[in-house]
Amino acid sequence: MKRKRKRSSIEVGAVELNVMPFIDVFSLLTTFLLFSAVFIQIGVLEVQIPFLSNAKPPDFQKPERVLEVKADVSKEFIEISSSWTVAPIDEKKKQFPRNKAGIAEAHRELLSIRTAHPDIDKLTMYSEDDITYKELAEVLDAIKFLAPGETLPPPKDPSAMKNGESQPSLFPKVIMGSVML
Amino acid sequence: MASVSSESGETLSLNIMPMLDVFSILILFLLMSFSTDPVSHDITAGLELPESISIRSLDENPLITITKKDIRVGDLIVTGLENGDVIESNRTQGAIAPLFKELEKLAEANRVRKDLPVDLEGPQKDALTVEMDQSLSFKLLKRVMLTAQQAEFVAFKLMVNKANDG
Repeated sequence: MKRKRKRSSIEVGAVELNVMPFIDVFSLLTTFLLFSAVFIQIGVLEVQIPFLSNAKPPDFQKPERVLEVKADVSKEFIEISSSWTVAPIDEKKKQFPRNKAGIAEAHRELLSIRTAHPDIDKLTMYSEDDITYKELAEVLDAIKFLAPGETLPPPKDPSAMKNGESQPSLFPKVIMGSVML
Repeated sequence: MASVSSESGETLSLNIMPMLDVFSILILFLLMSFSTDPVSHDITAGLELPESISIRSLDENPLITITKKDIRVGDLIVTGLENGDVIESNRTQGAIAPLFKELEKLAEANRVRKDLPVDLEGPQKDALTVEMDQSLSFKLLKRVMLTAQQAEFVAFKLMVNKANDG
């Protein structure tokens, strides 16, 4: 009982939390983050150019029948063509205006080609000289990447599947065919 | 709450809670946008990159910068540009002579690196990163690629701005 009385007799003053060290830490953290912040995220579009290889030459006696997909880009149009390397060649060509709707149409055409032939992952792109880099990037986006919600069937050859690919690709290998000696 | 006593003995108190709130939100935003990309790069002044839905990040490949005024390898200006094309004295068979010299040096360094154990996670050794203004033509990019091809570089990573909605 005595103890209880003693405790209640202690006056508890107003307790104030010293927030100054907390503000110091916050200020330093904000300064560091503001200096190291990257407000523009930079990405890359991967392309290749044709090159001479010292690999074993193809067997001309038994040529492999492969589907070749090409995209010709000009100021006005995008032409998507596909043909087989061995007869029956069965060449198909479709032309789309080079505007937002046309690029979307060309993308759908490429998606249908890729859906029908899941093992083909290479496209050769030809571009006219007066196409700007901005226009080129728009077309490359449509060629290289799948839009959200789009999927591809798995390739017949399972070894062709790339593990760990972060972004679903339509045609991951784009060869700039115009760049030739 | 921080407090200060005035001359008249009156205690003035400053409410720092709203400031803490602002700080907390700012830190949260900055932490959310903190880049985890392995390589950070400051875009060259006066150069505008096109937007792309690509989410692939930069890696440490040699950089070719094509501005409206010049072409650079790293920080070194190799040739000037005139009307969106390489000045005539620096053109040879569609390629760019001074650029070829610089890329040859890089290719030589790559040949030495190729003798070292293969680093699977490392950047592609025969690839170049190209930073180019979005208004420049493919004709110029083609010249650069053709020059690179002669110096045995066949893969390119074209730098773009990641679109926000991508």
